[in-house]
Amino acid sequence: MRLFLGQRAWVLQRLTALVQLFLLALGAATLLIAPPLAYERWYALATSTHGAVLIVVFFATLALHGWIGVRDIALDYVHPPFLRLAVLTVVGVILFAIVIRVVLTMAAHFAGGA
Amino acid sequence: MRLSIYRFNPESDLKPHMQDYELAPEADDKKLLDALMRLKTIDDSLSFRRSCREGVCGSDAMNINGRNGLACLTPLAGLKEPVVLRPLPGFPVIRDLIVDMTQFFAHYHSIKPYLINDTAPPERERLQSPAEREKLNGLYECILCACCSSFCPSFWWNPDKFIGPAGLLQAYRFISDSRDTATAERLAYLDDVYRLFRCRTIMNCTEVCPKGLSPSHAIERIRQALVRESS
Repeated sequence: MRLFLGQRAWVLQRLTALVQLFLLALGAATLLIAPPLAYERWYALATSTHGAVLIVVFFATLALHGWIGVRDIALDYVHPPFLRLAVLTVVGVILFAIVIRVVLTMAAHFAGGA
Repeated sequence: MRLSIYRFNPESDLKPHMQDYELAPEADDKKLLDALMRLKTIDDSLSFRRSCREGVCGSDAMNINGRNGLACLTPLAGLKEPVVLRPLPGFPVIRDLIVDMTQFFAHYHSIKPYLINDTAPPERERLQSPAEREKLNGLYECILCACCSSFCPSFWWNPDKFIGPAGLLQAYRFISDSRDTATAERLAYLDDVYRLFRCRTIMNCTEVCPKGLSPSHAIERIRQALVRESS
C-alpha cells in the first residue's frame, strides 16, 4: 500500500480532481454548445468510442479520488486498526464494483454492437 | 471585569470546573496578563505560565473566549465579558491553565530544528545572500507558543503522529535555509501519511498565530518541495 502513502496519495488526489474538473467542463461545454435534447442523441454520445472512454475514465478517477478522501477521513476519525481496515475495504469494494459495472456496461454495448 | 476560568487541581479535584471572578483592573492593567497577575494576588492558587510578558517567550498561551492567544498580547479593552479562559485545547492539562507540552516538543525535536551542514566550516561564517536570508522571514519568528498546533483539528485527531503546524513551520524554516544541506533527508522524513499529510488545510493555525505567521503557507511550500524533489 506504499502507493497511497504520503505525497503519492496527495498528488493522486489532486491529479484525479483535475481530470474530473476537465471532464465536467467538457460535459458542461457539450451541454451548452450542442445540447443532446433527445434520448437517442444522449445514447449516441455516451456510446461513441470517445464518450465511453471518457465515462469510464470519469468513474475510475472518481472512485480513486473518493477512496483517498475516505481514507483521509478514516485516518483522522477511525483509530482502531481493524475497524479502519473494514471501513476502507467496504468503501473500496463498493467503489471498485461501481467502476467494474460501468466498464462491463460499456463493454456489453460494444460487444453487442460488434 | 468578570472572568470565568478553567480550574483543575489534580491533587484535590476529580473533575475540572469553571470558576467565576470579579476583578477591578487598575489604570496600568492594559493586557489580559496584567489582569491575571492581579487576580493571582487575590487567589494565589490560580496557576498559569508566564515569563517575558511581551510576546517573546510564548509561555502564556491559552484559550481566550474560544480563541487561542497570548495573554500578554491580548488587550483588556474590547474583551467580551465574562472573559472565558481555558487551557490550550487538545493538550493534557497539568493544572488550571497549564498544559503538558511534552508531545508538542517531541514533535519539534523530531524535525531536527538545527542547521545540518557536513561541509567544512568556513573561517568566519556561512554567508547568505540577501535573497536567501529573505526566505527565512516569516519562519524564524516562531516562538513555539503552541497556539497554532493546539487550535488545529488535525492535531487533535492525531496528536501523537501529526507533527502539527508549529513543528512543520520550523521544518520548513530549515528546508528553506540555504546553509542547510539535509533538505532531502528532511523531506524524506516528512513524506509520511501522518507527519505532514494529516494537514487538511483548515488554516486555523494561520488564523490564530499571535506573531502573524502562516504555518499553512509553510506546509504548502513543503508539499511543493516534495513534488519538486521527486520529479
